[in-house]
Amino acid sequence: MARPELKQVTFEIDGREISAAEGTMLVDAAKNGDVEIPFFCYEPKLGAPVGACRMCLVEIEGVPKLQTSCSTPIRDGMVVNTTSERVKKAQEAVVEFLLVNHPLDCPVCDKGGECPLQDISYGWGGGKSRFIEPKRHFRKPLELSPLVAIDRERCILCYRCVRFSQEIAEDYQLVFLERGDHTYVGTHDGRPYVAPFSGNILELCPVGALTSTAYRFRARPWDIEQAGSVCTLCPSQCNLSFTIRDDAKVLRVLARDNHEVDDGWLCDKGRFGYEAIHSPERVRAPMVRDGGTLREVSWDRALADAAGALKKAGAHTAALAGGATTNEEAFLLAHLLREGLGSPHLDSRAGGALSPEQLRVLARPDLSARVSDIDHADVVLVVETELVDESPILDLRVRKAARRNGAKVVTLTSRPSSLDRNADATVRFAPGAAEAALSALASELGSPRASGSRLHSRAGAEPGMIGTAAEAMRDAGDVVILWGERAAQGARAGQAVDALLAVAAALGVADKPESGLIEVPTETNARGIREAGVAPGLAPGLTEAPHEGMGAAATADALSAGDLSALLLLNTDPLAGYPERGAWEAALESATSVVAFSEFVTPGLEEHATVVFPSESNAEREGTVTHPDGRIQRVRQAIGLQGEVRSGWRVLAELAERCGAGLDVLSAPQVFAAMVAATPFLEGLTLEEVGGLGVRWADRDSAARLGEAAMPDGALEQPPELPEGLRLGAVPSLWAGPEAQHSPSLRFLVPEQRAELAPVDAHRIGVSSGDEVEVSAEGNSVRAKVALRHGVQPGSVFLLAGTARDNATALTDGVPRSVEVRRAAGGDRVPLAAAAAPAPGAETPPT
Amino acid sequence: MADRRLFPLGWDAANDLEKDPGLVPDPAEVELPDALRTAIVAAMARYPDSHSAALPALASAQKVHGWCSPLAIHQTAAVMQVTPAYLSSVATFYDMLRTEPGADRYVFVCTSVACHLRNAKAVYDAIAEEARDQDLQGVDLREFECLGACDMAPMASIDGRYVGPLEESDAHELVSAVKEKREVLPGRGLDDPGYRLPWNA
Amino acid sequence: MPETKVLTANLHEPDLHKLETYERLGGYASARKAALDMPQDKVLEELEASGLRGRGGAGFSMGKKASFIPKGAMDKYLCCNADESEPGTFKDRLLMQKNPHLLVEGCIIGAIAAGANKAFIFIRGEYEVQATILDAAVEEARSAGYLGPGIFGSDFDLDLVVHRGQGAYICGEESALLDALEGKRGNPRLKPPFPANQGLYQGPTLINNVETLCNTPAIIEKGADWFKGMGVDKSTGTKLVSVSGNVKRPGNYEIELGVSVREIIFDIAGGPHEGREVKAFFPGGSSAPVLTADSLDEPYTFEAMAEAGSMLGSGAIIVVDDAQPIVPLALRLAEFYRHESCGKCVPCREGTNWTVKTLERIEEGEATPMDLEIMSEVQENIIGNCLCVLGDSMAMPIGSMIKHFRGEFEEHIEGARADKDREAMPAFGAGELAAAAEAGPT
Repeated sequence: MARPELKQVTFEIDGREISAAEGTMLVDAAKNGDVEIPFFCYEPKLGAPVGACRMCLVEIEGVPKLQTSCSTPIRDGMVVNTTSERVKKAQEAVVEFLLVNHPLDCPVCDKGGECPLQDISYGWGGGKSRFIEPKRHFRKPLELSPLVAIDRERCILCYRCVRFSQEIAEDYQLVFLERGDHTYVGTHDGRPYVAPFSGNILELCPVGALTSTAYRFRARPWDIEQAGSVCTLCPSQCNLSFTIRDDAKVLRVLARDNHEVDDGWLCDKGRFGYEAIHSPERVRAPMVRDGGTLREVSWDRALADAAGALKKAGAHTAALAGGATTNEEAFLLAHLLREGLGSPHLDSRAGGALSPEQLRVLARPDLSARVSDIDHADVVLVVETELVDESPILDLRVRKAARRNGAKVVTLTSRPSSLDRNADATVRFAPGAAEAALSALASELGSPRASGSRLHSRAGAEPGMIGTAAEAMRDAGDVVILWGERAAQGARAGQAVDALLAVAAALGVADKPESGLIEVPTETNARGIREAGVAPGLAPGLTEAPHEGMGAAATADALSAGDLSALLLLNTDPLAGYPERGAWEAALESATSVVAFSEFVTPGLEEHATVVFPSESNAEREGTVTHPDGRIQRVRQAIGLQGEVRSGWRVLAELAERCGAGLDVLSAPQVFAAMVAATPFLEGLTLEEVGGLGVRWADRDSAARLGEAAMPDGALEQPPELPEGLRLGAVPSLWAGPEAQHSPSLRFLVPEQRAELAPVDAHRIGVSSGDEVEVSAEGNSVRAKVALRHGVQPGSVFLLAGTARDNATALTDGVPRSVEVRRAAGGDRVPLAAAAAPAPGAETPPT
Repeated sequence: MADRRLFPLGWDAANDLEKDPGLVPDPAEVELPDALRTAIVAAMARYPDSHSAALPALASAQKVHGWCSPLAIHQTAAVMQVTPAYLSSVATFYDMLRTEPGADRYVFVCTSVACHLRNAKAVYDAIAEEARDQDLQGVDLREFECLGACDMAPMASIDGRYVGPLEESDAHELVSAVKEKREVLPGRGLDDPGYRLPWNA
Repeated sequence: MPETKVLTANLHEPDLHKLETYERLGGYASARKAALDMPQDKVLEELEASGLRGRGGAGFSMGKKASFIPKGAMDKYLCCNADESEPGTFKDRLLMQKNPHLLVEGCIIGAIAAGANKAFIFIRGEYEVQATILDAAVEEARSAGYLGPGIFGSDFDLDLVVHRGQGAYICGEESALLDALEGKRGNPRLKPPFPANQGLYQGPTLINNVETLCNTPAIIEKGADWFKGMGVDKSTGTKLVSVSGNVKRPGNYEIELGVSVREIIFDIAGGPHEGREVKAFFPGGSSAPVLTADSLDEPYTFEAMAEAGSMLGSGAIIVVDDAQPIVPLALRLAEFYRHESCGKCVPCREGTNWTVKTLERIEEGEATPMDLEIMSEVQENIIGNCLCVLGDSMAMPIGSMIKHFRGEFEEHIEGARADKDREAMPAFGAGELAAAAEAGPT
């Protein structure tokens, strides 16, 4: 369905004639006339109004009773009064009722100074209280979760937090219990409210009832400043605002509403991960390997060592970029490698190499959707990604589309998806068999490119499921396809993308302006890094590089074989995130030099780095990143550089200089300008234009300069047959990364390894829930606890990727691989830490 | 049973951070009595939206467990595929769903307006005193709001059986019968054969 | 005897709750007629022309309400409100227990009028006996082909489910009833949208009280004019009145609307006990503002009760005699509404709580006349400011008690305070003063 077009209507409020879009609620429309109507429970982001607080009552001519302006859409010619005696009396009454049981502990309340109840009581209250009965008193504060404290005395039961849990995050853990004046906010059976988005309730609370354990009593509103930036902990790239003190310390992270990106929500990793910025474990000074261990050294020494090693390796150097690497840093890295060292070997894609032609096709404006297109899509197709773990804010967006606009959701994933409950059709396939599943779907959708035989069986999917999915999407209007990088892994990554493009073509996305694809990459700035030139065979702007280079998998082999000797790691550690951990261990072992930029000493660096430069944290960095939908956004420096940290762009520029490829840049904006100059489709882009909310380059005229990129039209290749036995899928977890490990508040969420099995397989193997098992393949093994999952397809087993210990990447190579699962020696039953490992599909609520 | 008026449950309690969060239980990991599962599934099938089965499902769980215990709610949630919190929120809203342990039967004595006008408070007090004297256990005895039987005021509902009009002097026999699981005040139940109000007799 | 038995005409029949008996007495002829021989419009027309008004409390025209349901193919619902929880009301209980098929037949006619293929009877959980009887009746009707696909051999499908509540007065409020039926906490919804447009499962929904639906078979059978021939003006037909409180013969009595309140209380229900007088009465359940003996000669109609400053409501007359002190009655009433407030909106949740606390202090002799003024204003601050009518349902009767019995409240406040002081004094006098006297001057 297309975005609705709204007609303007005119109405009168407090004697002023004003206009606003039809359907706008009175409380919002009033603002157009500078009329402020007070409210507590109203929050349009939470869905339909509830009208519970009664604060926004107004008088409407011709309507006998006062009406809640939060739930009354404006109509042409409506006459509204917000200041009559009746309205004033009602407002004073409501404030008085609210304060009946609200403690007057403002001087010691965290909300004091930024509290809507305080403000509204002063602004609209009667200024006196006649309530002389004893107020309710309770123990306070109480832990609602490790992250959130609750003060039930202060709660005014405005519904905001419970609506968020029930209707936005849909985790449905936070509820009202009991009834009447006994009603209180709580959970079932005193369980902690642990959910990926729980922190949003802190910002929604209009009183001091919900406070952040990490922020509590740290500052008063007049001690702090806000600094807007972008979160770089996952590809969602939510806009945020750092609460900082003395330009040196981040005390809190708040959402910064950008409708095109995040809808004003943050996940808990983005909200609480700031603690890692001030972690004592951060790398704060450069280090070099000395006598087998890393030792802090001066910048001169580290730069000299690194430059020397890179120069020595020259064209035998490869580089990987990942994580929060900015476009500027990526541009400089590509420059350093190609111009300074003469090496074309750059990559940032863990999944598997895609051809330059494919990457250009995927970047085509007519094939790419914007985030807000999800809101109005008729169909959202989710392909091999668990959004809540990989790009959490998009998970909320899909739920919103389904709940508010009735979008059909189709999930096509190997592991049960937390969106299954919202889905109109669900396809389960064998881990690693996304290519076959997509080919089968293309075939069911009638793609002329579809070929190959027994595609359902090659996908390990029930034929009926794919047919149902195709049926749900046939003749759909606008379609948004959210596809995970995990769909295109290993040696056949290209074929998988080819099949994906066949599906997209069969759904006609190129011809519909509000349809398209959005990739969910494994790295935050995957798109920006790639478009800045860090990809094999691609120069900045996705243009053809003069030389073909090796992708990540080939790089590992070449390092082991001695064909490459140095590796530059920019904010990434292949032992954590890349498949074939064994191959990477060998590669790092063989490398003569490993020069790394990192915030933390990760396992790969600990063992193998020869030089480590400290990376800036998100709050220290200045630059730009590119959202998976092509939106370029500014990351702004909020606090001073910690310790001896230097800006990444500056260090890379220095290395380039020392390697004979100086660029003469003195600031991140200058690097941006150089990058824009080298990128045809960004022609003329300035940071001013990017501004606070970003700009999608696909929406600019310069997008035409992407160049020709034709949709493939040949027959799809035949996907391979599935291997026999239990097939392993490695799935990411929101909490497996270093941010959670290094943020004290989040540490409890760091997952332990667990093997998700279908009950029938567990029964066959002879293990039950909580048993310790060993999962092994080709001589490698990891230990895990069994978790039984009703929705896991028999024949599949899932492990977490990216865990500090027992990382699933020890067993994966990106394509379907069968593994053996058996009870571990001494593997007695141990209670499963379910907090750390939410069941797939288990976070969703009743709808 | 604790008087919720004086001791609101849960208000003063922090969440137990050692517990797992209350996600939708995975059916593969929850066992429950077949009869309960059957009752819940049947209830779900009666409605266009299976969530409508929440009240009948909780009532069934209460029948099996005696009350809507955390386990009863967890089992119900596993069958209905909702979060336990969804059901806790519902269960704590309704007076007839017990969310505290200690009783699997009830005696509701109406003390609402019409019964109040006919001496209900004294009748309730007499029954409560008698219950203490006889050490009546396992019965949820409380004052209840209007039960829709003001013609037989003052009255009580004993596990759904309405008896009345009651007098203070009935307290002893009423409590004894409940305690001994006998029929309470035979002939004075609304649906007893030939039941008539005294003034119509 | 000014009783007029229409709804209750057959209640003396043994085994009336069985289909066989009910049909022998002419039952289901109207539903059959509506299903087979009357177009939906005609059913609507007849109901509207009869002037039948809702018997649950609001008194809105049943036919008009049914005509608000949009036409066209979509999922529509009929909900019978059998949550009868208004203190003083027990008429629906009688109908359901004795004559369940009358309600089933009424539901069929209501569903045909609304074009609804799915109907629910939301019965309060406390009515366990009646729910079981209804379940059996529904089952009998289904077996007979009166419910289910193609009822009476027509092409109209109708499924009927008896849904038990679990104890919450607020579920009698129609939008709260819908939430409860959807398996949620019974919280009232914001209106608009009204249930006729977006009700159960967001579909158009007609909600009618038990007694209202029970009136429909006779209207279909005998016609609107016959029905209008009973009652007066805009209060047509008969009404089943629940009389309770301080009368000699509490019970359900069916009368033609328009007989006087005095006739109902005195002639039918026997009046107050010997030596007692009517001090006040609630004319329509405990949510109706109380009236005094001055209003006894008013005709019992929707209009007259409204004119007298109260309402006919659910048709439950609670009589308060002159032996009853007003303060404990007010407290009991306020406690009820505090207990039953769902807690969703602020004025009701906090206002009922505040009122109870003040009344407790008045009762205990810890209040001053100022508290009475504040309490009176609290009632005004509740009225009209709440999400649903529950807040008003306390504030209006409490407000009416203060209005009619201000003097008694004031006397009680003074008297109870004096008692309290007297209680406190001797203890001080006997203990402290005696001790001081013994100790002698220092």
